Amino acid sequence: MTDIATIPAEMGADGAWEERRGSRWLEPEVLDVRRMAQVMREKKARFVTMTALLVEGEKEPRLSYHWDLDGSLLTVVTRTEEKHIPSIYGICEAADWIEREIHEQYAVVFDDHPYEPLLLRAGDAPGVNLPEEDE
Amino acid sequence: MSYRIAIGPYHPALEEPYKLDLVCDGEVVRDAQLRIGFNFRAVERLAEQRNFVAVIALMERVCGICSNVHTMSVCQALEQIAELEVPPRARYIRVIVAELERLHSHVLWAGIAGKLIGFKTMFMACFSLRERVMDVLEAISGNRVNYSMNRVGGVNRDIADPQAVLRAVEEVEREVARSIIPVFTGSRSALSRCVGVGVLDEARARSLAVVGPTARASGLPQDIRKAAPYAAYQELEFQVPVESSGDVKARLVVRALEILESCKILRQALAKLPAGDWRGPTEEVEMPAGTGLSRLEGPRGEVLYSVTTDGENDTPRRVHVRTPTFANMPAVRVMLRGAQLADAPIIQASVDPCYSCTDR
Repeated sequence: MTDIATIPAEMGADGAWEERRGSRWLEPEVLDVRRMAQVMREKKARFVTMTALLVEGEKEPRLSYHWDLDGSLLTVVTRTEEKHIPSIYGICEAADWIEREIHEQYAVVFDDHPYEPLLLRAGDAPGVNLPEEDE
Repeated sequence: MSYRIAIGPYHPALEEPYKLDLVCDGEVVRDAQLRIGFNFRAVERLAEQRNFVAVIALMERVCGICSNVHTMSVCQALEQIAELEVPPRARYIRVIVAELERLHSHVLWAGIAGKLIGFKTMFMACFSLRERVMDVLEAISGNRVNYSMNRVGGVNRDIADPQAVLRAVEEVEREVARSIIPVFTGSRSALSRCVGVGVLDEARARSLAVVGPTARASGLPQDIRKAAPYAAYQELEFQVPVESSGDVKARLVVRALEILESCKILRQALAKLPAGDWRGPTEEVEMPAGTGLSRLEGPRGEVLYSVTTDGENDTPRRVHVRTPTFANMPAVRVMLRGAQLADAPIIQASVDPCYSCTDR
């Protein structure tokens, strides 16, 4: 079994896992998402998905990366910068569709992701889940 | 010289609308592109405008086959946020309905697989069997598709006659063991369309993070009912069937064996069904601020719901759904590369795709 407690340090992230309602959460001040993906790949963690969340009063969406490691659900939370964040697709191919979906729903740009439309048809603008004033 | 064949979005080879663009050399598929979104209804956005009761009914409509998985998932997430304990009888009823749903979903899929490999008698036999399961679900819930069984903290209906459910389960089990399993594991006609077709090896299955029977047919023994048990699964004995060949046959066999495991779970759950309350809280549930992460093993694999509330409004701040087909479908591209064009319909169907779920 993998020692989950050491993962934040291996990712170069500050803080420790917090147990909340049956899953573990990590919300570091700074996170290199590509390094996180690399560490998770080395641990053979399964990428589950990512969740984008708009928080009132915050300009940038929060992105939660969900991983399964030996049945434990691990969630690492970060924020975009000017609606940009590095893509982890090159490290974790399972992130392909969800990065494309979050781009279309929240207009987040995943840098270096070879973008192809997923849900939207040609001509539709990304940001279908944004409140009207942000669209 | 290669050429392109577009299948879909509306095509007899596809159960639901989506599009496969195949690049072929002669009869061999060299590459495939998938295009989805034809069922996109912005359900996640709509969920932000529904109260904590209406959102359950909305999420039930994400899928017309595994509707119960969606209500159970959203309820579990809300129960996490509200820190609610579900009564023991309700936990068992949730298992019973979830396994009946898995039964009818897997039997439906076996019928579709039969049709796609040219075995229409099997299609008819499976759909007839599925009707029996649907009748049981209707007897329990009053509905054949949207059962409305789950509520926050409990269930909406009791199972008044467990023996009637048991009789139907035994009938399904007998028929599956008598006809479906022998055909899909022993018939030369069926096997010739399935063995070595649409292979997804273990390494690629792990890399693509596929889930459910698709993962288990590629040698990955993952099942949320075992890895992170919910409802009453930790109190029930069952096996997780795993095959290693990663082909269409393996996906068929895994699902066929899972039907028998579901019957085993149902027999135990019906026998152990505890007495007592099943409704849960009768007063309106206070929903504080928080995020609940709920994972269930649906018929097609792991479903994840992330539900966030702000503690002020009676609507969720965010509901995110990761359906199993959303995780599995990118693997179809890998399965199709190098396959015969004539096998493309059964290969894409072998992950049991649900586009209503995927598009939301």
